[in-house]
Amino acid sequence: MREKQKRNRKDRGIPLLVSIITVFGLLAVVVFSVAGKISSEMSASAIQNLSESLNLLQCTIEAILENEADFQKMIAQRIAASEDPKQYICVYDRNERMVKISLILEGQAEGVSNDGSKFTEEELDFSAGRMVDGLPVSQSYLNYMGTWAYTMKCPVMKDGRELGTLYIEYVYDSLDQSLPTGFYNNKAMLYIMDAQSERMVLKPEGMGERSAGHLNLEDFYHANDIQEQEIRDKVEACLQDGKNILFYHDIRGKQSLIYMWSVNGGSIYLIGYVPVEAIQQEGRTVNQNILIVVSVMLIAFFLCCLLYYLNQRQQNKIRKEREAEREQHNKQLAEALQAAQLASNSKTMFLSNMSHDIRTPMNAVLGFTALLGMEAENPVKVREYTKKIMASGQHLLSLINDVLDVSKIESGKVVLNFKKFTLNDLVSSVDAIIRPMADGRKQNFHVEVREIKHEYLMGDETRINQILINLLSNAVKYTQEGGNIWFRIIGLKQRSNQFEHIRIEVEDDGYGMTPEYLETIFDAFTRAENSTTNKVQGTGLGMAITKNIVELMGGTIDVSSEVDRGSIFKVELELRIPEDNADKQFWLENGIRHILIVNSEQEECKNISMLMRDTGIWLDAASDMEEAMTLAEEAGREGYQLVLLDWDGTEGGGIAAAERIRDGLDVSVPILFLASYDAGGMEAALELKNSGILTKPFFVSALKEKILEMQQVGEEDVSEPEECVSLEGLHFLAAEDNEINAEILSEILEMEGASCEIAENGKLVLERFEHAKEGEFDAILMDVQMPVMNGYEATRKIRALTRRDAAKIPIIAMTANAFAEDEKEALDAGMDVHMAKPIDVGQLKKVINKYVQGKG
Amino acid sequence: MRKVAQRLAAACLAGGMSLALAACALGDPNDNVIITEEQDEKKVNLFSPMEKIDPDAENVARSAFDQTVIIAEEKLGVNVAYRTYTAEDYQDKTYDDVTLDRARNNMDDLYLLNPDVIQILGEEGRLLDLSDFDCAKNLREVVKTANTVNGKLVAIPQEVVAYGLFVNKDMFDEYELELPETPEEFLECCKVFKENGIETPVGANRWWLETFVFAQGFADMYNGGDTEAEVAKLNSGESRYSDYMRPGFEFLKELIDRGYVDAKKAYVSEAIEGEGDDFLSQKTPIVMAYWGAANTETAYGKTDFHMQVIGFPSSHGQMPVVTITGFGIGTDAEHLGDAKDTLEVILSDEALEVYAETNQVISPSKNVEVDCVPALKPLNDKIEDNVYVLASNAGFKVEQWGNTCLIVRKLLEGATVDECMAEFDKLQEESLRK
Repeated sequence: MREKQKRNRKDRGIPLLVSIITVFGLLAVVVFSVAGKISSEMSASAIQNLSESLNLLQCTIEAILENEADFQKMIAQRIAASEDPKQYICVYDRNERMVKISLILEGQAEGVSNDGSKFTEEELDFSAGRMVDGLPVSQSYLNYMGTWAYTMKCPVMKDGRELGTLYIEYVYDSLDQSLPTGFYNNKAMLYIMDAQSERMVLKPEGMGERSAGHLNLEDFYHANDIQEQEIRDKVEACLQDGKNILFYHDIRGKQSLIYMWSVNGGSIYLIGYVPVEAIQQEGRTVNQNILIVVSVMLIAFFLCCLLYYLNQRQQNKIRKEREAEREQHNKQLAEALQAAQLASNSKTMFLSNMSHDIRTPMNAVLGFTALLGMEAENPVKVREYTKKIMASGQHLLSLINDVLDVSKIESGKVVLNFKKFTLNDLVSSVDAIIRPMADGRKQNFHVEVREIKHEYLMGDETRINQILINLLSNAVKYTQEGGNIWFRIIGLKQRSNQFEHIRIEVEDDGYGMTPEYLETIFDAFTRAENSTTNKVQGTGLGMAITKNIVELMGGTIDVSSEVDRGSIFKVELELRIPEDNADKQFWLENGIRHILIVNSEQEECKNISMLMRDTGIWLDAASDMEEAMTLAEEAGREGYQLVLLDWDGTEGGGIAAAERIRDGLDVSVPILFLASYDAGGMEAALELKNSGILTKPFFVSALKEKILEMQQVGEEDVSEPEECVSLEGLHFLAAEDNEINAEILSEILEMEGASCEIAENGKLVLERFEHAKEGEFDAILMDVQMPVMNGYEATRKIRALTRRDAAKIPIIAMTANAFAEDEKEALDAGMDVHMAKPIDVGQLKKVINKYVQGKG
Repeated sequence: MRKVAQRLAAACLAGGMSLALAACALGDPNDNVIITEEQDEKKVNLFSPMEKIDPDAENVARSAFDQTVIIAEEKLGVNVAYRTYTAEDYQDKTYDDVTLDRARNNMDDLYLLNPDVIQILGEEGRLLDLSDFDCAKNLREVVKTANTVNGKLVAIPQEVVAYGLFVNKDMFDEYELELPETPEEFLECCKVFKENGIETPVGANRWWLETFVFAQGFADMYNGGDTEAEVAKLNSGESRYSDYMRPGFEFLKELIDRGYVDAKKAYVSEAIEGEGDDFLSQKTPIVMAYWGAANTETAYGKTDFHMQVIGFPSSHGQMPVVTITGFGIGTDAEHLGDAKDTLEVILSDEALEVYAETNQVISPSKNVEVDCVPALKPLNDKIEDNVYVLASNAGFKVEQWGNTCLIVRKLLEGATVDECMAEFDKLQEESLRK
């Protein structure tokens, strides 16, 4: 479709281009022809003007000559009328025009000039027959003044008889006064040439070249490089005939019009040249102006085209952007719709699941409660039913906690609580939770810790715990009975000395997941659904929570899975190493400097060495008993202060090996068996003196605890019985707006032998406490969300009372606001401890015991 | 689309308005009366010779002079009109003849004068005394000596003109000839050239052969002799000019007789025009010319061979011959005031520096010194060492430059040396009678 549009556009574009080119071509032809026409007309006009100028000059000179002739005739008449013609001549002084007047009387060869000198006609050449107004004119000559001159002769007639001849010499210089001081803006050159001698006789002022005083016609030709014989011949012919001639020739690189203009029938010539550019100046100006106008029009046209083009482009761009935006919008809408549908589906499914999941335990609660009512007289049944009701309630609670967790994480309200923790505690607590679950499903649960350099780390242990429990509980859930689950903590190469880079791997060989499901595994409200897993209870929020927490910690989570082959989750985290990590003091105090490790697994030895690196203890590793015995002998009886003996990997069994070692070492040296959780025959090992069992994986903290434990065992063989916690005789003030909850609380406390006074809101609690006697209440149990005055405000006001016990009385928050920040707010308000609802009686007793009885 | 149309309309409107405004700016159409005024122009007429010009060559010497004139025109607001004369052939009046006529008839204001004309017009009192001019204060003594007539400095030049022999060094080298120092060596060189088929070893014209005569005649007087005493003896008639001139004339006669100089051709040849082409085409190895010819493309400024300019052969070795031309002002010049101002400017140190730098010539001002072209170095070295003879000296009662030229022409016409010497004696007698 687009191709077709492009082709259409091209199809439209080419004829348009051809049309534009044709129009411009025509315009160019018209402009060119108009310019040419103007040029030629102007040229013709310029030649006409030049001719007229030259005609004017010609007429001027001819008029002068005729005047001179007339004047000479008049003088001749005067001379004829005078009594003494010679004397008459002498009276004349020369002037600017007539520089010499001479008279030769008839019949004489010699005459006299006005300056008194003798005069003959010999030096004058009248042979050319040139005449002015009937008077013969001589060839030009250089006169006594050093300037070019000519002489006219006129007969002196009296009564029809010729008395003599009057000769008057005129100088060409006098013509200069009557000629213009230049024409064509002084660009035209002009000389006056005597036609007969072809000598230049006058360079009118302002009209000749300053740097060239042309001598004669030949010199003019030479100086201006006019060498063409044809031109010269034509000029010669014209000079002979007294005709005017104009021709074009380049003079010093400029095309010029050369003129030779006949004066007085060709006796003298006006010779010169004018550059063509000077005579066509107007034409050129007109053409230039036409070109300017055309150029301006063209520029304006192209500018308009450009503007139009730019505008079109802008419009297209905007249109395309809008289209793209619309498409994007539509796409987003479609995606949003899809997401909404998906979310709706997910949430519908979630609600359906939740409905199912909540109804199930709820059904159990209600069902067993009904049964409880019927079987109230049977204590065995009552206990059984209440136990089941409790279990169902706990499950309901975990469901609600997960839902709350997701909503919190999604709204960005989660705050991580960084504290120092040990991997040992983490692994132990996880192991304690997961192993029973795995055992319940007859699955093998493998725990492995390797290449960890620091086991004390900074982090939110609870949240990490949550991650691990989520992953591992899923692994347990989605692995068939008898399957395997691997839990690994692996130390990776550190990117910074301050951080331990770890990878947590949770692997199973269970049902696995389809690739489609893998794409949505970390989305909230999804759960792998198949015939098998439908039996599995859960909110489907676990993985979403896990991923969010991992990312909150700056880590990554990755999963790969194959259906019926199993899955592996990899979580990578960087956890800060606490500065006071090394604890050498413990070892010094306990006198442990040298430890012998007996383990055939090199990898495990390496892990132990790595963890013990900062303790300052010297470790000797023996891969078999022989080596162990050799080392023990070499070290002597006091050489080792502790032996770590691998239960599983020691040849000949752990007990035998321990006994052999015991023989070589002092009996005071403790022997600790490193054994996996499910190792058998451990009871025999414990019978060995000064020995203990350390569960794999190995942790330094676990080792330390074990050492302390063995020391205590040595000191006190019988541990103290657990402290008996009782609330007998205590009197509480409780704030609770919910009647049922208030009743439950009252009942629980009564069952424990304590009494309780309920107030419906914070204000009533405050008033009641204010009016109570000192010591009347042992503690205040404070709900938070209450009408009139909430628990925080009531606490602040109680603490602000001036009563002596106002600051001391324990205030225990008992609230459904179960988040960490709720706890913080409660403590900030002045409460002593925070307990989340529902009330765990055991927990309540412990807390009360701690804050109330401990007080005493 | 609508926006585009609006923009186009706005652009057209703006264009139209600008054109309308431009039209308004052309002037008031009702004002159709034009009044012109002729302005009085300060004018100075200068008479000077003019070389014939080639279409493609720049006349450097003329350009240099023009530059100084332009300085004057710009400074004074004066218009210097050039009036020129060039003789068509030997039968024509010479430039000097025409100059005399024009000066005597008061035709121009400023004249560029040759040494003989300076002396003649100075004697006639037709030239203004320039002694008090500012430009006269920095002049070299040689200039003052040459152009002082009856105690008046009547002309000041723009350059000190030194004549020398322009030789084709390549041809001398080809025939293994040393550049000649003495007349005998010169004749020997000519002989060798002639023997080797060089038809005319010395190219000559009707003007400058006299330089040989001055070099030989006055070498002793100007180089170690008591110049003033010798001039005084000549002016008093105690010594004879002919005695000084004879060796040179005899030398020229020998050149002519042996065919080293084509006398007939020389007699009708104008300077450079006659012999220049043969010299440039390497048919003639030796010509004589003035300093500036070595810088001027229209003369010998651009040769295809290695050219050197040396002094004329004399008993003192190679001898430059110096003539002093000069600009003079007619005593009755029509535009006397402007002419004086103009002369002051074109002969000022500033203008002379421009002239000398452009033309690379010896400046008459003591304050101006420029480098010369390499070809002129031998000649320049001699002048720098004060080795030269003056071809014109206004202190002589008998004018030398013009008269000797005319008498040499007689020799060219076939007169004997004795007849030529008689001419000198006659001139000396005439001068003694004055």
